[in-house]
Amino acid sequence: MHIPDGFLDPIWSISTYVITIIYYIVGIKFTKAKLTPNKVSLITVLAAGIFVAQMLNWPLPGGTSLHFVGGALAGILLGPLYGAVTMGLVVTIQCLVFHDGGITALGANLLNMAIIDVLIGYLLYKLTINALGKKPSSAFIGGFLGGWLGIVLAGIACGFEIGLSPLFPYGIAITVPVMGFWHFVIGVIEGIITGSVIAYIASKCPSLLWKGGSEK
Amino acid sequence: MISKKALIIIIILLLISPVFGVVLADMVGYHEPLDLAAEALGLEDISEDVNWTPFFDYTFPGLDPITGYIVSGLIGILIIMAIGWLMYKLVSGRRE
Repeated sequence: MHIPDGFLDPIWSISTYVITIIYYIVGIKFTKAKLTPNKVSLITVLAAGIFVAQMLNWPLPGGTSLHFVGGALAGILLGPLYGAVTMGLVVTIQCLVFHDGGITALGANLLNMAIIDVLIGYLLYKLTINALGKKPSSAFIGGFLGGWLGIVLAGIACGFEIGLSPLFPYGIAITVPVMGFWHFVIGVIEGIITGSVIAYIASKCPSLLWKGGSEK
Repeated sequence: MISKKALIIIIILLLISPVFGVVLADMVGYHEPLDLAAEALGLEDISEDVNWTPFFDYTFPGLDPITGYIVSGLIGILIIMAIGWLMYKLVSGRRE
């Protein structure tokens, strides 16, 4: 899902940078959740874990590949702002140090993986927990839905960004269905991993979920 | 700051990462949905033409792809931990 240099129209390159910067500024200005040393530790270990998990690329039958993204996991554990900070750290280092994702597309990559995936994962998890209660089984369902649909919507957003360009007036008719369909299919695996990790945390370390990140 | 258990999991993932990121990718090919969409539009990836980093695509100069992948991953983890450590010091200092 890392858009490289050369894929984005300058208008999308600039506007996604602007939207992303505004999200972080507004988030930092209006968040009620304090940044504590414990939260910094969680951000660090989660960012390191997601960074290395993204290096595990899985080839799939049918000619496509996937890697874990982790935005929903970060959103569920740390909430919409610090989840976005965690993913922002990962995506920015991938871009600047390893050129995984272009510098012209960093705004879009942050918007897709560090904001949309994080927000959707967080919201669907919260909705599920509110409906089903605080227990490991509902944590799995919430994590699964958040992980799955978070990556689907991030993929669709990515399809809009590369398809909506003056150079390709009908591009989104191709890119959005391709990105939406494939992420709908392979996103199930992201959902299972996210749901399993969240259910494990709910059973072994529930304070991290019910009182920690996303509750604040 | 980081638990021993979490660190062990991260190191294990790092050590097995070339199996997926290099060996399997070379055998089967690596083709994300984004590549399929870009191919359909005829978009061109110009990353190599405008590259600025010696660690391009998780390689390390002078090392074979598998070792380079692990060393690159280690560099990424160390940078994240260094930033995390700085943030930790800043936040701890602010609270004292």
